[in-house]
Amino acid sequence: MRKAKVLRKIVFVAAVLTFALSRTASAHHSGAAYDMDYPQTLEGTVKTVNWTNPHITFVIEPDAKDGKPAETLVFEVSSPGVLTRSGWTKHSLQPGDHAVFHYAPLRDGRPGGFLMKVTLPDGKELSFSFSPTEQ
Amino acid sequence: MSVVSRAWAAPPDLDGVWLPDVKDQKRQEKENVPPWMPAVQPQIAHLAAEEKAGRPFLVLSHCLPHGMPSWMVITHNAFEWLTTPGRITLLGEVDGNRMRRIYTDGRPHPEDPDPTLHGHSIGHWEGDVLTVDTTAVAPQAYVAISEAVGVPNDGDMRIVERFHLAAANVLHDDLEITAPKVLTGPWKTTRIFRRYPDRHYEITEGECEQGDLVTGKDQFGNDIFVSHPQNPDGSVRTAK
Repeated sequence: MRKAKVLRKIVFVAAVLTFALSRTASAHHSGAAYDMDYPQTLEGTVKTVNWTNPHITFVIEPDAKDGKPAETLVFEVSSPGVLTRSGWTKHSLQPGDHAVFHYAPLRDGRPGGFLMKVTLPDGKELSFSFSPTEQ
Repeated sequence: MSVVSRAWAAPPDLDGVWLPDVKDQKRQEKENVPPWMPAVQPQIAHLAAEEKAGRPFLVLSHCLPHGMPSWMVITHNAFEWLTTPGRITLLGEVDGNRMRRIYTDGRPHPEDPDPTLHGHSIGHWEGDVLTVDTTAVAPQAYVAISEAVGVPNDGDMRIVERFHLAAANVLHDDLEITAPKVLTGPWKTTRIFRRYPDRHYEITEGECEQGDLVTGKDQFGNDIFVSHPQNPDGSVRTAK
């Protein structure tokens, strides 16, 4: 199962968490590195918000299961301009926020993906589109 | 005697923030393919295969502006159209210095231009249509159909655009791209942009390089950006 494969490959990176938390995408690029055909969902807590160009990234700590140590994933999403026009602000997701994350995983199995939608505890959903007719 | 001719009518107001129709861009990736030269076709086929395999070539990985014509053709971000006497300025979003100046004061192209990523653009109104001629584009500027598929124009490119309103807030940019080093003939494509006055959209500052930096302090305690070392974990960077 793809999810299991992805999770297996997640490395516990506490020792280098600083690197993992602060590294962001370089330049904007095709989304082909993400597998849109296998959307995944996980619940977790926001560790870091990189509200920056060219693409925003969030570092997420999935909910611990079966006593396993926390593992982090990096979710990339579109740019501050596109998200702002889609109704987000830099405060929409903050460190410590718990939510359900819907994402397309990286094809190479590294711990990350392209964030498609976030469902907050109150049921509110955060997503984005390039033009408002798609919202 | 009062004579009102079309030539004296005020051109349409195109000022505002315009959002690209990305869905139509995607449609044209398949349905309006440039006439690539035979020597270029294997490159394009390879790039398309790499993208399909999840290893996209990164046309925009260098933090340079898209350049022309890619800015108009493949951008996912908004631009702001500003009309001032003698020139029209397009301000882009993301990637520093994404800016086009279209001179409308009647000047010609320079005789000995310094090629730039956006080239040198001169425009004039023909009724409700702004015709723009662009030359002096740097040979490194891509002719691209997506963020993963495109080739440098390799020089001598000329772009003729016809900007016009298809509806009150729908802008069409009819492009005719002549790139004799990579195309067998002119490539014609129309790119669609929309504005939403009621939403009061703004373009945001977007410095691509910030993606490679983190905030920090210098030895005096000043707030600065510092380079961040590449790391194998947590990075969403894809290899070029």
